[in-house]
Amino acid sequence: MRQNLRIALVGCGQIADAHLLQLRRIAAARVVAVCDRYRDVARQAAARFDVPAVFDDLDAMLAATQPDIVHVTTPPQTHLAIAASCLDAGANVYVEKPFARDLREAQELVARAESTGRLVCLGLDQLFDPAWQQCRAMVARGELGELIHVDVVQSYDLAGSFGSIVTADPGHWVHDLPGGLLHNAAPHALARLIDFIDDDAPRIAAFRQPRADHAAYATELRATIVGARITGSMLFSTAIRPAQRRARLLGAQGSLEVDLESRTITKYAAASFPGALAKVELPFRSTLQAAHHFGANLRRLGAAQLHYFAGMHALFERFHDAVRGTAPMPVTHQHALRVTALMDRVLAECRVSETTSATHTRGLDLEQASA
Amino acid sequence: MTVLVTGAAGFLGRRVVVELLRGGHRTVCLVRSARRSLELDSCISPALKSSARFVTGDLIDRDSCRRMLDGCESVVHLAARLAGSPSVLFLSTVVGTRALVDAAVDHGTRRFVLISTLGVYGTGGLPAHSVVDEACAIDPLPHLRDPYTYSKIEQERVAWVAGAERGLPLVVVRPGFVFGPGRTMFTGRVGVRVGPVTVRMGGGARIVPCTYVDNCASAIAAAVAAPDADGRAFNVVDDHLPTARDMFRAYRQSVGPVSAVTVPQWAIPAVAGAYEWCCRRSHGQFPPVVTRYRSASQWKPLRFSNERAKRVLGWRPSVGFADAVDRTLAALPLRPGTRTDGRA
Repeated sequence: MRQNLRIALVGCGQIADAHLLQLRRIAAARVVAVCDRYRDVARQAAARFDVPAVFDDLDAMLAATQPDIVHVTTPPQTHLAIAASCLDAGANVYVEKPFARDLREAQELVARAESTGRLVCLGLDQLFDPAWQQCRAMVARGELGELIHVDVVQSYDLAGSFGSIVTADPGHWVHDLPGGLLHNAAPHALARLIDFIDDDAPRIAAFRQPRADHAAYATELRATIVGARITGSMLFSTAIRPAQRRARLLGAQGSLEVDLESRTITKYAAASFPGALAKVELPFRSTLQAAHHFGANLRRLGAAQLHYFAGMHALFERFHDAVRGTAPMPVTHQHALRVTALMDRVLAECRVSETTSATHTRGLDLEQASA
Repeated sequence: MTVLVTGAAGFLGRRVVVELLRGGHRTVCLVRSARRSLELDSCISPALKSSARFVTGDLIDRDSCRRMLDGCESVVHLAARLAGSPSVLFLSTVVGTRALVDAAVDHGTRRFVLISTLGVYGTGGLPAHSVVDEACAIDPLPHLRDPYTYSKIEQERVAWVAGAERGLPLVVVRPGFVFGPGRTMFTGRVGVRVGPVTVRMGGGARIVPCTYVDNCASAIAAAVAAPDADGRAFNVVDDHLPTARDMFRAYRQSVGPVSAVTVPQWAIPAVAGAYEWCCRRSHGQFPPVVTRYRSASQWKPLRFSNERAKRVLGWRPSVGFADAVDRTLAALPLRPGTRTDGRA
C-alpha cells in the first residue's frame, strides 16, 4: 500500500485552484493546509476544497503541519525564499513555473534541495499531458525515424482570466519579471522544445516585440534553437486565434502534429497513389484520422479523461512516487535548470537582437542625414 | 458632506457620484487610472465639477486607504470585481474591503455605505414564493454559491464584524441585478450561457429582482445621509419587477437573435442534480457552474421587498421597467442592418 502523503500549498491564487482540484483526485495524498499572505484568500480555497487548516504565515504552517510536500504557487520572485524555507523544514517542494527569476536563483534552489536531501520539482505539467506523452513514446519507438525539427506554437489570451488582470494592472508581479509576460507564459513552450533538443548549449536566435495595441511591453516571442542533431522553432503569440498549443515533429521517416487543446496526434501520411489521385487520397486519410480522434475523445469524455490539467495530475502522481522513493524524479533538478537557463538565454538573445536593431536603425538615420 | 466613492468610474459608480453632487455633497472619487478619471469627468456637469476630486490608490494597501480617506466624512464602497476566479474576487473584494474598513474605523468615518448584492441571502432554504426582505438570513454555506456571491457574502461579513466589534457606522445596500445603458441585459437570474446557446432556467413567470441603474444610484445617495440607517441593510429593487420572460425579451432586443433552450421550472432540480452528479463523477472535468444548491438559490420563484428602503431612506424608484428598457436600448450602438426608423 502506498504511503499517504501530507501536502500543503502556499499561494492561493488562480493556479492554486488547479493544484487543489488535481490533488483531490489523488487518493494517496491529503491536503492538510493552505497558506496565503492574505488570510481571506487562503480561507476561500480551504472552504471550497475541504482543507482543514488555514495559515497566513509560512513558518507557522510548516511547524504546525509538517507536510511531506509543499506546493509553491506564489509569484516567481518569491519561489527561492519560500521553497528554501520549506526544504529547510524537511518538506519536498513542487514549484510552479517559472522556476525562479533567473538561473542563479534556480541553481541556489537546487543546491538547497540537494544539501537538505529533499526533492524540488518544477511544474512542467504540460510535458505530462497524455497527448505529449504519447508523441514522446512514438518518437522513442522510432516511428518518425530520426527527428529533424520541432516546431512549437503557443498562444496566450490577454483577455483570459489571468491575462486580463496582468493587462489591467501595470504593477502586477508579472511585469517585474526579467522577461515580463513572456517570462511567465513561455516556459511550457520552451520546455516542449528542449524535451527533444538535448544539447547543453544550442545556438539560439530570439526576437520579441509588443503587439501594436500593447506597446508597453513585449507580448510576442519568436525563437530558433539549433542543436547538433535537431533544430527547433517556437512561436509564442498573444495575437493569434484560436487559442492553441501545438507542435509539429518532423522526422526523416515521418511527421506528426500534436495538439494539446484537442488532445490529438495527427500523422502526416504519404500518398500511395500518384498525381491527382493523391490529392483525393490524402484528405480521405485525414478524414479517417479525424473520425478516429472524435470517437476516441468521445470515449475519453465518458471516462472523465479530458481534464484540462491532466498533465498536472500525472506529474503530481509521479512526483509523489519519487518522494516515496519508488520512482525516479519526473522533472529532474538538471531539467529544471536547463529550462531556466534556456529562458535566460532566449531573453539575452532578444536583448542582443534589440541592440543590433537599434544600432542598425541609428546607422540608417545617420546615412540619411548625411545624404 | 465629503464622500469617498470607491469604484467611482464604474457603471454604477459614475451615476452615484453625479447623484451625490446633485444632492450638494462633495465627492472624492477613487479611480483606477487617468483614463477612467476622464471618463468619469465627462459624466459630471460643468457646474458640479468643482465639487469632485479624483484620486488613485490601492484598496489592498492600508496606507493608501488612509490617504484616500483624508478629508472625507463618509464612504460609499462600490469597488468590487464582478467576475473572475474566486482568489481574484477575494483579493479585490474581500481583502480590499478589510483594508478600507480598518482605515475607516481609524479615521472615524461618520457613515460607511457598503454596496453588496441581493444575492447574499440564503434563499436556497426558503419555501417557494416567500418574500425576501432584510429579515432573511445570509447564506450559511457561501462557498457553495458562485464565486461572485461568495466574495460578496464574505465582504459583508468583514464589514458587519467591524460594525459590531469596532463601531463602524455601517449601512449595507443590497441591489438586485443592476441594468442600464452600457451593461448587458442578461442576468444569471434568467439562465446560463453555454457557448453560443442560452439555457433559460424556468418558463419565464419567475420574478427577477432588478433595479435600473439610475434608481439604484438614487437609493445609494439616499443611504449616505438618511437618519436611522446605521447598522441596517436595505434591499434595492424596483417596484413592479419584471419576469424572467420580460428580461429575456429585453436581452434579445439588445443583442439580436439568441439561440435558446428552456429547462422547465419543475425540471430545474433534476437537471441541476444530474449535472452535479456528472461533475462529481468526472472529478471536475466539467466545472460545477450548476449545482442543486446554486439553482435553488438562483432560480426559485420568490418575491422581493423594497419596503424598508422606501420607508427609511425615503427612496422612490422613479424609472419604471418599460422606460428603463427603452433607455437602455436607445443607448446601444446600431447593429449592422438595423433600420434607423425603428421598423427593423
